[in-house]
Amino acid sequence: MEEIVPKLNYIVVVILMMTGLWSMLAQNNLIKKCIGMAIFQTGIILFFISIGAKDNASIPIVTKEPVNQALGQAHAPEGSQPPAKPELAKPKAKEYPNPPNVNKLTNPLTQILMLTAIVVGVATLGVGLALAQKVYQQHDSFDEDVILKNQTK
Amino acid sequence: MAELPIWQFDSLFLIVVLLFGITSLAMQNLMSAAIVFGAYSFLMCLIWTAMGAVDVAFTEAAVGAGVSTVFIVATIHNCGVTAKPMNSRIGFKLFAGAIAVGTGAFLLSALPDFPAWGDPQSPVNSTVAPYYIENTIRDAHVPNIVTTVLADYRGFDTLLETAVVFIACIAIYSILRVDSAKSTVDEPDVVTSPPAYDPTDSLIIRQASRIMVPFMQIFALYVIAHGHYSPGGGFQGGVILGASVILLCISFDLKFVLRQWTEKRIMILTALGVLIYASVGVACLFMDGNYLDYGVLDSILPGDKSYARYYGILLVEIGVGVTVMFSMIGIYMILASNGRFRQGL
Repeated sequence: MEEIVPKLNYIVVVILMMTGLWSMLAQNNLIKKCIGMAIFQTGIILFFISIGAKDNASIPIVTKEPVNQALGQAHAPEGSQPPAKPELAKPKAKEYPNPPNVNKLTNPLTQILMLTAIVVGVATLGVGLALAQKVYQQHDSFDEDVILKNQTK
Repeated sequence: MAELPIWQFDSLFLIVVLLFGITSLAMQNLMSAAIVFGAYSFLMCLIWTAMGAVDVAFTEAAVGAGVSTVFIVATIHNCGVTAKPMNSRIGFKLFAGAIAVGTGAFLLSALPDFPAWGDPQSPVNSTVAPYYIENTIRDAHVPNIVTTVLADYRGFDTLLETAVVFIACIAIYSILRVDSAKSTVDEPDVVTSPPAYDPTDSLIIRQASRIMVPFMQIFALYVIAHGHYSPGGGFQGGVILGASVILLCISFDLKFVLRQWTEKRIMILTALGVLIYASVGVACLFMDGNYLDYGVLDSILPGDKSYARYYGILLVEIGVGVTVMFSMIGIYMILASNGRFRQGL
């Protein structure tokens, strides 16, 4: 269990890809083949996302952080009433960290590659479904056996 | 690793998602298979969100779970719903199973070489990717690193992805489009015997979607415009815009939408998105820079070089959004109307 859990993602990826591959090869129904193709694809996407994940890391959006206290202290005496309302007297200026902490943000590169892959995936799924529909118009069936029988006639 | 509860949740989700995928392939009724496939996609979104890939999860929720399910349902609506039980060619199926298992075993044999799940020091996370994390604010003032990499650092990639969506739309048109003037024989204009209860004619559904559509479109515009600061961008916003029109197609009729968005208009606008994207690149060429190097646009856009990149990314995202929106509408219409552009789902 100690060895399986850190690498469970790869095992699930491989099983998803096997399912999709088998479905594309062996399913009779053309729609099932298209769904199998989509499952194969999500398997690959899951692989890329999971190798880009980091422990204890946030989403890859840089957030503004309060500037370091030294700067805030330097500005505080210039205000007329620093002791009265300390939290109002020096509103913390927020800036983007430069550079951001790499280990606190997940890997953006694998995500962007997969983001475009998803959109192209739906386009290819649409082409696949259009082809299946065209086949249905001619053979009146999604079933591979019927189509093969019609073609050999 | 095992002591963190979030990873245990992830493991649970991974196993459930596996079950959903296999169930969707095992179902006899194709409509159920499509819906279970949608549920599979939504669970996948949860997994990706837990791994920090919010943009990808957003795209998958809009594209994978939303629009692809609608595409499959539209195809099934025109064709048969029930799949035959698979009892023929058992030998070939076993052979295919052996191939799949062999491939899987081959892939699993590399398992010990892979870094552990969530390792920050793995080669993927420690070589190229830190450059993007460290420099995106300095280069483009865009906090969402995914947006910067998508539209700026890897702008060529996204330009061609947009072109792929456009080409797929054209391909589907050339496969399925039937000139309705030539084929009036096989589809009657008037349905001869309407069913006693027509579920597509529900007043509640029509009014509910009529109210929902403007909000969906405002949300989509927000997603496109605010993609610099939050998850989102041209792909997601474009798909949501397309989905709002697809909702009208489903709840009213295809003809209702075609009054506004004719076939010709949809195709022109699909091409227009790619044109916007490409012409931003050409504008960079005219300003003495490289193709899609938005930094040189600072003389015509407000701000300095990094803010020129900021606005360049926004222009490009708008182009992506337009193409994706209209190609999704076009693909849905042609799949749902069986290539005739008459009656939809």
